Amino acid sequence: MNDEINLKEMGNEDILELMQEDLYDGYADEIIESIKELLSRQIPPYDILIKGLVAGMEVVGIDFRDGVLFVPEVLMAAKAMKSGMDLLRPLLAETGAPIKGTVVIGTVKGDIHDIGKNLVAMMLEGAGFDVVNLGINVSADDFIAAIEQHNADILGMSALLTTTMVYMRTVINALKDKGIRDDIIVLVGGAPLNDDFAEDIKADAYCRDAAIAVETANKFMELRKGK
Amino acid sequence: MPSGRREQVEDGQTVMDAARKVGVEIESLCGGRQSCHKCRVIVEEGHFDKHAISSSSKHLSSPTNNEITLLKKLGTPEQRLSCDAQIHGDLLITIPESSQAKKQIIRKKVTNRDVVIDPVIKQYYVTVRDAQLGVHRGDWGRLQDALETQWDLVDLSIDIHALRKLQAALRTENWSVTAIVWNNREVIDVQPGHKDSMYGLAVDVGSTTVAGYLCDLQSGNILATEALMNPQVSYGEDLMSRISFVINRADGLHLMNTAIIDSINELANRTAKLARIHPRRIHDIVLVGNTTMTHIFLGINPREIGGAPFALANRDAIDIKARDLGLRLNPGAYAHVLPSQAGHVGADNVAVLVAEQPQCLDSIILTVDIGTNAEIVLTSSKWMFSASSPTGPAFEGGQITSGMRAAPGAIERVRIDPKTKLPRFRVIGESCWSDQWQHRDNECADTKPSHLASGICGSGIIEAVAELFLAGILFPDGKFNPDIDCNAMYWDQEKRKGAYILATEDQSFSGNPILITQQDIRNIQLAKAALYAGAKLLMMRAKVEHLDQVILAGAFGSYIDPKHAMVLGLIPDCKIENVHAVGNAAGDGARIALLNRQKRAHAQDIAEQISYIETALDPDFQTEFVSAMHLPHQYDSFHNLGGILENSAVVTKVPRRTRRRRRTANN
Repeated sequence: MNDEINLKEMGNEDILELMQEDLYDGYADEIIESIKELLSRQIPPYDILIKGLVAGMEVVGIDFRDGVLFVPEVLMAAKAMKSGMDLLRPLLAETGAPIKGTVVIGTVKGDIHDIGKNLVAMMLEGAGFDVVNLGINVSADDFIAAIEQHNADILGMSALLTTTMVYMRTVINALKDKGIRDDIIVLVGGAPLNDDFAEDIKADAYCRDAAIAVETANKFMELRKGK
Repeated sequence: MPSGRREQVEDGQTVMDAARKVGVEIESLCGGRQSCHKCRVIVEEGHFDKHAISSSSKHLSSPTNNEITLLKKLGTPEQRLSCDAQIHGDLLITIPESSQAKKQIIRKKVTNRDVVIDPVIKQYYVTVRDAQLGVHRGDWGRLQDALETQWDLVDLSIDIHALRKLQAALRTENWSVTAIVWNNREVIDVQPGHKDSMYGLAVDVGSTTVAGYLCDLQSGNILATEALMNPQVSYGEDLMSRISFVINRADGLHLMNTAIIDSINELANRTAKLARIHPRRIHDIVLVGNTTMTHIFLGINPREIGGAPFALANRDAIDIKARDLGLRLNPGAYAHVLPSQAGHVGADNVAVLVAEQPQCLDSIILTVDIGTNAEIVLTSSKWMFSASSPTGPAFEGGQITSGMRAAPGAIERVRIDPKTKLPRFRVIGESCWSDQWQHRDNECADTKPSHLASGICGSGIIEAVAELFLAGILFPDGKFNPDIDCNAMYWDQEKRKGAYILATEDQSFSGNPILITQQDIRNIQLAKAALYAGAKLLMMRAKVEHLDQVILAGAFGSYIDPKHAMVLGLIPDCKIENVHAVGNAAGDGARIALLNRQKRAHAQDIAEQISYIETALDPDFQTEFVSAMHLPHQYDSFHNLGGILENSAVVTKVPRRTRRRRRTANN
């Protein structure tokens, strides 16, 4: 599998670049191998995360948006990313690497579409966020309980039906009633939504696809940290 | 407007509503939410003497940001979305060809099937004892006596309209009448003397097409068949848009209910006219439709089936006075609505099973009815499973760049030469393939030939994707093969995103080439994977690995070529000769239930016995769905294609997908 390449002979930057390509191809074993090699060279786990995994997933996100990659390939890439993250996560905690933010995500009540939301969750994880995926058919109460439990920075809501997307307003109103609306960034997505709808229900932004979701989440987190 | 129609409208009305008011249908996929772009219109600027108006885009409300972005993206910033633009002054509007909701070609025809004629209404000719002084039984009492002694009918009731006619009817033909009795329980009509003709109407209320069959209830013959576009289309293309319309507008249910009831009345009138009878002589009607349609025509708010847990107001068959629905048939007539199965598997699917009876055969049969939602049923003589899969509008031309309904000008057949990689196609309304068009150019030098392509319809897109795959232009993962470079292939500068030119500028009606983009392929992959995964989950639930037969129901199914459907991986492997299209089986089922009362009981049994599977909740759904996105499938094999895949130009191995650098020995 790895005949052509000798990691030992490669420079750090080359390995990080190789990691991005391996992620693109969904090669989990190769990702692990590269991470281990870089760790043995005392490269900080945080650098591996950002320059290898996060950078790699960004490319995946863009190509997915443009239809160059499709769901099966993105899932493979996400799996490879996850196996890399499993290796890095404890080390990141140990080294006190900065935590990007926590996202609570779910498909709203009445809606049982799972896959698109899962892709967004994976891409957010790939971008370095901690993601709490509540699954489908999630009520306002469950969203709020998870936000409080995980001290979330971002709430991501998905709906694939014109009939269920209106529930997002219910959730946002519930956040207001709880007095926590201004403490959290609310991002919404799903095929029937658009910018006007997001504005109308007073969400912070509508994200058209997984790549934009990551971009938007990053942007809002920077603003928030700048506060 | 191209229709030449004009009308005064209220200030603030949208262009789409105004068009509807003058009887011009504008296409709308999203139900007026400014997210599709199918309703684009052109505002003519300037003064028009012919109409004595000065038209200006300033007479429309300014576009929302959303509209501006969408139109810019489409490269038509000067156009407007008719669902958004509100009228505030004089306007001359042109509705481009692409935005016109056309009358579809799909005409629901009925096949002839053997049905035992045993309708739910029967005629009884009786002679009633005349009224005499001192006998206070009443005319209805005397008719009851006569029906009991002459026909053994007891415990009857009588419809108020029949009662109102009774006395005159009895006295017209010397106390002999024909009573029309429903279900051996109720006299719904009385006619003087001896009458021996009865008529009934079977109606399939589809989301797009409403089809009616007027039948002679004695011979079982179909006297007339008519189909209309479902007028609800202009309130929202798909079911969810229509449910949203009901939720978002106070008068939404009323509007859509009235629209569909009017259509059914229109069908009754038209078919009756063709059969040269009065609609009042229609004494029975059977209605089928998907669950949203049945809710709406019954005047029940479909809100609950708009979201999980998709609770139906009623699953079982119902009988209701047709007049209470607003239907103008015989005033005593009952309407029978066949039962549904579950949230999104409705009476139309039960009707398919009534007509096809796959559950009565000792083989494993997959029945699929493809629309925006695909209903999938797997049966053997021992069990029945059903599911609903959200295939989306791609097979109906929605979400496809050049997609359109199956109307004249739509590309419906596609072949791609595996060597030259160049296409030829056939459009609806034209028997010649595109490669034979040349000869005709001289004949019509002045006008555009009628055969030019306007877009691609569902069967066309299925063939196109299958042919692209067979020609090696698409990889099994659905990506355009970057090694292909021919006149029909279009690449962006980085050679990252490809598109295939199905019809050139010269072959297209608009003068713009008709493309299949990478995103179109992705949308077809999603749609076909949803259908395949649904079928596969039912097979897993039933613990079967092979199918003996596949039945393609629905008008659309008739136009799909089984081979291409299998190459695409739309349906699981099955002997190609055992894949049958059965046309509008739902309409047939409705007609059978009209002619035979036992079949109504049978339909109720089906509804109760079938196991409905909520595929989205199945833990294997995501895996099955994702594996089915490949062409034809990531793991499953298709032996019955008889080597078509192996002997084609299919590229079986997907090269490593790296973008910038390949991992080679030199590295």
